[in-house]
Amino acid sequence: MAKNGSSSRRLWFVAHSWIGLPIWAFLFFVCLTGTIATVSQEIMWLADPATRANPPSDDARPLGYDDVMAAVEQQRPGARLRELTQPVKPQFALIVEAVTPDGEQQTYYVNPYDGTIQGEQSWFDFRQFIRALHGWLLTPFNGGYAIGWYAVSALSIPLMGSLVTGIVIHKKFWRLYRNPRLRISKGARVFWGDLHRLVAVWSLPFIAIISVTAMWFLAEAILYANNVTVAATPPPAVLARDAVPTVERGEAPPEVSIDAAIAAIKEKHPDFSPGFIKVPETAYGHVTVYGRGAYPLIYEEAKVDPYSNEVARSRMVSDRTALEFVTESMRPLHVGDFAGLWLKLVYFLFGLMLTGMVLSGMLIWMKRTASATRAVIRDVTVPRPFPEPAE
Amino acid sequence: MSALAARWRRWRFHLSALALIVPLGFAPGYFRQLSLEDGSVGLGERTIGVQRLGRWKATLAEFAVGPPVVEGPAGPIKTFSLALESVAVDDVKAAYLKIGRPRSIRSAGALFEGAPYRQTAGVAVPADANGDSEVWLTLEGWDGSIEQASLPLSEASPSTAAWLAARAK
Repeated sequence: MAKNGSSSRRLWFVAHSWIGLPIWAFLFFVCLTGTIATVSQEIMWLADPATRANPPSDDARPLGYDDVMAAVEQQRPGARLRELTQPVKPQFALIVEAVTPDGEQQTYYVNPYDGTIQGEQSWFDFRQFIRALHGWLLTPFNGGYAIGWYAVSALSIPLMGSLVTGIVIHKKFWRLYRNPRLRISKGARVFWGDLHRLVAVWSLPFIAIISVTAMWFLAEAILYANNVTVAATPPPAVLARDAVPTVERGEAPPEVSIDAAIAAIKEKHPDFSPGFIKVPETAYGHVTVYGRGAYPLIYEEAKVDPYSNEVARSRMVSDRTALEFVTESMRPLHVGDFAGLWLKLVYFLFGLMLTGMVLSGMLIWMKRTASATRAVIRDVTVPRPFPEPAE
Repeated sequence: MSALAARWRRWRFHLSALALIVPLGFAPGYFRQLSLEDGSVGLGERTIGVQRLGRWKATLAEFAVGPPVVEGPAGPIKTFSLALESVAVDDVKAAYLKIGRPRSIRSAGALFEGAPYRQTAGVAVPADANGDSEVWLTLEGWDGSIEQASLPLSEASPSTAAWLAARAK
């Protein structure tokens, strides 16, 4: 490695070592939990059969959302729907959040073909937990971003630093693409060094994506703390008083139709594909539907008046400013959930590689430091004025 | 070099593993917050009591005990939760809460959001509120009828009243 012993390269090398080493264990933890988080939904799919969507027959077709809602209410009398998630992949059951008459919010996994509640989420939501553990170390949000959010997203700086210094040290890194080198028989130190470099060159774009998007998460929190908003978020839409009907005493209030709301959106935006539906939070609220259109990185949003079934407001990809286009693409780029299972597995694999690089980086240093320390101890022959106390 | 110093030299680089104490320490609070949000521990941290408004009944609670939380430019916000009881579940169109007496239904305060069994509202704490202020609950029926009730802020949220009293000093 030290063929070219120029002092500036040596300096970069020292910088590269020192950027990662003091924080390696923390970085390792964040990389590992992040890697698990990319496939947390799939882990739940494997662990809990209730989260899977099995068609009762080959020619079965999914129910409309209104029928799903009616089926849920029939199975859990009085339950009021709040949110419904239509997973991107057809192998997953619908996720329905509802509040039961005892005031508890429940998450049901509902079969999209017959509306059967296949299972209820227990108190422990693995996906939510692993995200909170990775993203903000479970620290609380009290009127601002959690302190753990800053700690984790600030790791993007040393991560980017490692990337840049690593490239500077190995200016001809691209040679490794054509001549990969992994020496197994020359000792652990050489092996870990080769592995570290080999994995690094292959995951350069991934590390760049993860660190840049994480830097945005840090910037986002800092901007929020200083009351600066990038996205022009309009004030919450509330229906006018006279837009909400009045009914005679004793008569049932008007019912909300999710299918009609989606039909209204699709009439205006034929490409729109619903992914997440929120029923009105109040009598003066809208049905809000989030979904992805032609550009998969950005969630589009439409609000529908539940009484007239007219689209009251929509934020489609084309409504975004260039800046919003970039900032709103950051999260999907970070988590890799926008193209299906194959991309999640790619993210998982590169996540493992990045986690392994943190570990191998530490091992390389420890092996080098250990031998250097031994050398130092061996060289010390000057007798000391006082004998060291025996341990 | 002593063995202790050598050990320090070797192990100091693993000190960042201590960061893992953070999620461990915050885990109980994280799970407590989740069970508060999903209602499994009840309406809120502190139940204020059943309010009677005409033919309707509703239970009011402090979502979390403690002073208001300052949320950006919106200023201090205190969150309450509400459960509509029996006929009110289907009869009531909207519920509002305000610190201070509302002049009309259009200024009835924060609108409760969520299912009738458990809804929450973030109530703005006005600049002129003090420890003696009153909290006004307004229920609006689907038939257009309106019922109101009030209670002292010191009863609705002793911690908010204490916070306001301290602010006045």
